[in-house]
Amino acid sequence: MATIEVNKLACSRRDNILFEDICFEVSDGELLQVDGINGSGKSTMLRIIAGLTEPSEGTVLWNSQSIIECRNEYQQQMSYLGHSNGVKDALTVSENLAVMQALSGRENHADIDTILKTIGLPGMHDVMLGKMSAGQKRRTGLTRLLINQSHLWLLDEPFTSLDTDGKNIIEDLIVKHCQNGGIVIFATHQEMDIEGHSVRHIHLGKGND
Amino acid sequence: MYTFFTIVRRDLLIAFRNRYELINPLMFFIMVIVLFPLAIGSDRQMLQPLTAGMIWVTALLASTLSLEAIFRSDFEDGSIEQFTLANYPLVGLVLAKVFAHWLITGVPLILVALLVGGFLALNDAALFCLLLTLLLGTPILSLIGAIAVALTIGLRGGMLLSLLILPLYMPVLIFAMLAMNNASDGLSIAAELYFLAGILVLALTLSPIATAAALRIRLS
Repeated sequence: MATIEVNKLACSRRDNILFEDICFEVSDGELLQVDGINGSGKSTMLRIIAGLTEPSEGTVLWNSQSIIECRNEYQQQMSYLGHSNGVKDALTVSENLAVMQALSGRENHADIDTILKTIGLPGMHDVMLGKMSAGQKRRTGLTRLLINQSHLWLLDEPFTSLDTDGKNIIEDLIVKHCQNGGIVIFATHQEMDIEGHSVRHIHLGKGND
Repeated sequence: MYTFFTIVRRDLLIAFRNRYELINPLMFFIMVIVLFPLAIGSDRQMLQPLTAGMIWVTALLASTLSLEAIFRSDFEDGSIEQFTLANYPLVGLVLAKVFAHWLITGVPLILVALLVGGFLALNDAALFCLLLTLLLGTPILSLIGAIAVALTIGLRGGMLLSLLILPLYMPVLIFAMLAMNNASDGLSIAAELYFLAGILVLALTLSPIATAAALRIRLS
């Protein structure tokens, strides 16, 4: 059973405390939403959990081991999608997906046709990202989740730029992932109504539970 | 190696589709080299001893111009974050990006430099020496430059980058020029080439590690 555990996490910037004393544990099949107003530190917290940013205090443990000590093992099990999509405008969808596949380190590559169909971009293999809308780029960025086939998903504002159809697709993916035993932690400042799975909440900026 | 070459292919495709990034340093190089005979005069006797120095200094400045392109767009669109979190060593990805950068900027620069060297009256021995020093020297420029770019990426002020790297480029320039002087005097250039090869090996082994560490610091 996989667990991500956050212990007494604190982060401050230029003497300004973003958050402190944050503790929680998320296990297989759980969905956690980090919410709070702009500037409350949601993105920073996700970056800390992903291992991109160091906290001022506290630790993040993956299966009771610090993520710094088991970085390789942790990165194999984790996918992170930040504000930026991590895709190149000068490449086509399939070229971008080929790069994601190479970075995933997996030998058994997922079928690109199926992935594009799932994410709502069927037949768009050869379209240049630069010619796509912000929502379509976001969907391309989110294909990373299907390519990496990771256990833990860390999503920062995953619904940004997405239309209703796109939101439903991503919500379905999140719910299915949790139902299959995966872990999802996502940050958003929007009121979300995810159906089909219970959602735990962490509120930043006004106390946490 | 599949991941390494996928990243090299990716960067080559992007450079090919944004051709100005490929052409700008070359245009700068050609324009500056053309200015020298206009300023100094077209007398072959006068130009010959200065040609190698002109080519090397201009190549160095042209290479500095193109350096930011190694990581700038990847930093802006979040690709560097994904590289850092990839299931492939960041050091390997950095090396792939620097290799692609050398193929995009270093190799065309070498070809144009040889052409310009031929026009500016360098003899065969000097041209051969120019080729060898550029082949050994330009990858060092990309490797050392990558560390400085990784440290300064996202910061305002292009001067900081130049201030950081130009002193580090000095040994390359010194040994390359010593080799060029020896070649035009008909002396052996082996010692200078060994020094350049030594610096290349040192840069090849240490620079990707330093660059990867600098990228992690910039992201945090």
